[in-house]
Amino acid sequence: MTIELDKAADRPEAVQTPPPSKTSRKTTHNTTRKAPGKLAGWLGALPLLVFLSVFLIAPIATNIFTSFRVDGQFSLEPMAKLFEPQYRDAFIQTINLSLLTAAVGGVLGFILAWALATGTKPAWLRNLVLSFSAVASQMGGVALAFAFIATLGVQGLATRIILSLTGWNLSENIQLASFFGLALVYLYFQVPLMAILMLPAFGSLKKQWPEAAYSLGASRFRYLADVALPIMWPPIVGALLLLFANSFSAYATAYALAGGRVNLVPILIGFFISGDVMADESFAAALVTGMIVIVVAAMGLRTLLERRTNKWLR
Amino acid sequence: MAALETAPETLREARPKAAPRTKPAGAPKLQDTARIIIFAAALVMFFIPLVASAAFGFTLPGKGFTLEPLTDALAGTDFAAQLFTTLELAVLSTLGSLVLLVPTLLFLHLKAPKMLRLTEWLSVVPYVVPAIALVGGANLFFRNVAPSFLVSTYSLVPFYMVLTLPLVYRSLDAGIRALDVQTLFAASASLGAKPRQTLLHVVLPNMRAALLGSALLSCAMVLGEYALASLLLHSTFPVFMVQVGMNQPRAAAALSFLTILATWLLLASLSSVTARRGTKKSTTKGGSR
Repeated sequence: MTIELDKAADRPEAVQTPPPSKTSRKTTHNTTRKAPGKLAGWLGALPLLVFLSVFLIAPIATNIFTSFRVDGQFSLEPMAKLFEPQYRDAFIQTINLSLLTAAVGGVLGFILAWALATGTKPAWLRNLVLSFSAVASQMGGVALAFAFIATLGVQGLATRIILSLTGWNLSENIQLASFFGLALVYLYFQVPLMAILMLPAFGSLKKQWPEAAYSLGASRFRYLADVALPIMWPPIVGALLLLFANSFSAYATAYALAGGRVNLVPILIGFFISGDVMADESFAAALVTGMIVIVVAAMGLRTLLERRTNKWLR
Repeated sequence: MAALETAPETLREARPKAAPRTKPAGAPKLQDTARIIIFAAALVMFFIPLVASAAFGFTLPGKGFTLEPLTDALAGTDFAAQLFTTLELAVLSTLGSLVLLVPTLLFLHLKAPKMLRLTEWLSVVPYVVPAIALVGGANLFFRNVAPSFLVSTYSLVPFYMVLTLPLVYRSLDAGIRALDVQTLFAASASLGAKPRQTLLHVVLPNMRAALLGSALLSCAMVLGEYALASLLLHSTFPVFMVQVGMNQPRAAAALSFLTILATWLLLASLSSVTARRGTKKSTTKGGSR
């Protein structure tokens, strides 16, 4: 605001005569605009707000509303049904899958991030890995599922090569349409996602910090434990939470690989919506609500940690 | 800076305790080999599924390279129509997002920066609501309010706009922030330009990278979207691919390879677009998504 006023003050001495009136009008407009500014803001944001209320907020609200109603009456029955063994098992399986892929992907991705952040040696190799990580972290979906079937399926490339080399049939031990098979495929995007998320955190660890610590006589371990870790843990945990949510909400990959053979929440929801299972509107809505609650919890925690992180990482 | 760096050095010289000093001297070699191993492993892991899907999809045992599995599977299907639908949806939702967001964001940055906190918060909500959850809610809501809405394939467009919102919003917002539009408008007005001229000749050309980047992101996401399309019973390319995959795995692998390749090209050109901008800020912004 001050810059604007300065500029406007400078300009009138310049050659043009008509513009000054314009700029002066603009500046007066700016200074007197305090009260109507709020209204203008709402008006300007209105298209976006309307759009989001119709296509995002209203569907979510309807869903949550429906999950607490049976035959037009308030009821906790649909939500209670989530705790029936079959559905509770789906939630437990999905949580386990998300925990597993977040943990393994987190460790491997952290190592990859470390190599990317600290290594500059073969620059071309580093840049190649970096750009592929950025892309692979956004992969997923149907194409990835079929690519893995082509790799590790019964007739997959890796399966055939290993079979001809060692006589060991990989596909008998690694079932892609199983819990661990899905976990393996998810890692394809979880590992690079973790690496990409951790890079800024690594980048902001100042070079002077280890120098300062060592010059004060600290050992490497002491530096890691007392300086690096306290600063790094919020972004690490935050990234792990995002990985968890990412895996929890993946549908296309799981469906294309396993169909109904793995009991997962997103796949259950899919079956309910497409009407393969009896049409119980309220319960389908309850499943969705349960899923939203879990993802919101993970992402909410992440936001809190992010705020903590921003204190240090600039 | 130089003084700062030499100071610890002399301190270390003074100290007889050698442990911290030998580490920086001896470790790099070991660390460099470790890094190269990690890079190589990562590259191999990234490429194995790609190579395998190409090999599986474009060869037949004893025949070598062939397009047969693909052409056999596509013959007699309306494959072209589905691919076209998907491309159309990608273009429409990308344009829709830009038309909705660019004027809104510019206006808010200029006139009501305080509103940005609300819109930014809203833009992250689709992150928390997975596509599969959104489709559940959308089904319920529109079946009650406007039953005929979901029938048309084009009804997917607004939902795709919602799904891509977190990415598109942030990349546009970062682009605008980097510009300082307030000053640009003031400066150009003082030179006698009308706001519309400023917008067309100053602001939008400067936002080229942000516009292109968000368009690429949005396209890449829409091309691979499966949950909404399949559950709202629209036939798009990914839906078609799953149908093919049911009984023709080779053709599905070939299509997957082509899809992955196209997505990689889209997203890789994105990183080169942002790299040309070259600021460290933009990469960290991108990373925190």
